[in-house]
Amino acid sequence: MKHILIGIAAILFSILFYEQRIGLNLSIFSLATIAILAFYNPKAFKNRYTIIHTILYIATAIVAFMQHSYISIIANCVAFFTLIGAVSEGKTSIYVYWLNGLYTSIAGFFHRNFEVNDDVEKVSLKKDIDIIHLTKLIGIPLVFIVVFILLYKNGNPMFNNLVSKISFEFINVQWILFCVLGYYLFSNISKPIIVESATLADLNTKNELVKPDDVSEEKLKKEKQLGTTLLGLLNLLIVLYIITDIASLIIGEDTSAPTLSSLVHNGIYTLIASIVIAIVIILYFFRGNLNFYTENRTLKNLTFLWIFLNIILIALIAIKNQNYITSFGLTYKRIGVHIYILLTLAGLITTFLKVLNIKNMVFLFRRNTQIAFIVLILMSTINWDQTITAYNLKHANGFDVNYLINLSNRNAILLNDKKDALSISESDKNRISTKYRTYMITLRQRDWQEWSYENFLIEDNNSNSE
Amino acid sequence: MHVVSNLAKSCLLATVIFWIIAGTDYMDMDMILVIFLSFIPIFFIATIVILGSIYVIFWLRVNENFSKRQVYKTFYPYYAIIAFGIAVFGIISSGFDIYIIAFFTSAFITTSQSWIWFAKEKQR
Repeated sequence: MKHILIGIAAILFSILFYEQRIGLNLSIFSLATIAILAFYNPKAFKNRYTIIHTILYIATAIVAFMQHSYISIIANCVAFFTLIGAVSEGKTSIYVYWLNGLYTSIAGFFHRNFEVNDDVEKVSLKKDIDIIHLTKLIGIPLVFIVVFILLYKNGNPMFNNLVSKISFEFINVQWILFCVLGYYLFSNISKPIIVESATLADLNTKNELVKPDDVSEEKLKKEKQLGTTLLGLLNLLIVLYIITDIASLIIGEDTSAPTLSSLVHNGIYTLIASIVIAIVIILYFFRGNLNFYTENRTLKNLTFLWIFLNIILIALIAIKNQNYITSFGLTYKRIGVHIYILLTLAGLITTFLKVLNIKNMVFLFRRNTQIAFIVLILMSTINWDQTITAYNLKHANGFDVNYLINLSNRNAILLNDKKDALSISESDKNRISTKYRTYMITLRQRDWQEWSYENFLIEDNNSNSE
Repeated sequence: MHVVSNLAKSCLLATVIFWIIAGTDYMDMDMILVIFLSFIPIFFIATIVILGSIYVIFWLRVNENFSKRQVYKTFYPYYAIIAFGIAVFGIISSGFDIYIIAFFTSAFITTSQSWIWFAKEKQR
């Protein structure tokens, strides 16, 4: 039964993906994956972590069909590994889910093959030997028969004629190999495995710092003094910087593109790097025993102030970036800066929680990877090309039409609808029309496996116009 | 460790997998000689990769306290993930060329199987 179900899934895999681009096939594959996982691991699907990750995986499959963007495909793949990892061992961190999911998908067969010999159940051992024996029984004679037929062909013209009449052209070997690949993949994921060393280490690591038995009071006092001095001075410096930054934002009138560009691009990355260094400094001082030192109140307060001031710094960076976007429109780079800011903010908040609740570094790593995963999934739900185009045409004081035309085809319909209302050159309008036509042709030429939501949209438009 | 038998089996396995995949593109009578000759470069590549990456790990880490089974369980997952990453990168960079696909697929399967052959040998 196991082999039959995986065999069917393998044929489905080949039908879905052989010589096809990504589209509806990815969503169907996601559902087939869930079906296979649920069939072979019913117990795991009673676990709430598995249920949550199954829902997330289905959501990314729907998003991949709706959005048909690279980020939605990446999010779907990450959710695939996460779900498999959750089935293999639900109580680990999300990065161990990824590790187990990846390992299961690519090497599950070899791992199980390695385990077979250690298995004391002779029945299952016998089954495996039978399969290997059967493969040998068919494979070896087949190889030799083919070799000898090819050799005999030259020795006898009549035999050559006879053999030449045999044609296997109707068999697509590549399609069959694709089926084998599908079988390998589905067989791997049917019984998820774990990377033992990483999984056990993660299961044994808690989020809380453990209070040490013996602590050198003298050493801690010196470390506290160093931390207080450093953080005190850094707080003063950052206050001074924030005052000047606010002043320059209020007073500054030079909003030319090069000035804003230099302000945003040169400034932001340096500032974000400084925030990351700030987090590292905090983590250094609160890495261990100082968390339990009775006289650490001042240092803790200075740390909280330092985190709060860094959050203000982040808000200022976000304002600068937003000013830039308002003046010159949205681009992927500017959206990237906003996402970068959001992740840094999340990093600062988790650092605050770490110091407040006396957590360890693993806590930080766990929470931040979870946040990164959620951000990836949320970002994948947006059609960025369409959003950038719509925003720039509606709200931006100025925009680069070349940039909009050079974006992927997912903004082609919107651009074509709006082109007549825009004050752009005729050649640009022609480029937009060409982009739209090319996109319509591409959509119509897609096989059903490659369909996305847009295929149904144009079908609807066509039937309405008829 | 039975290095020679491991290399011989690996070489045979790699050749079979390589030509099963590469043969889907083009195959005729004249190719038989090429297939047999391909044993030579495949043997050299398999030897370098297996001795340089798998054998050396077993050689360095196996001792009385750390069995071959433990070495496999500790290092193979990371080896497989890295090898798979390199293979995917190579295949995508080549624009899905059939010979590159055949090369990396045979390399991945052969090295994975070679790990098992090493790990399943009886420890002295």
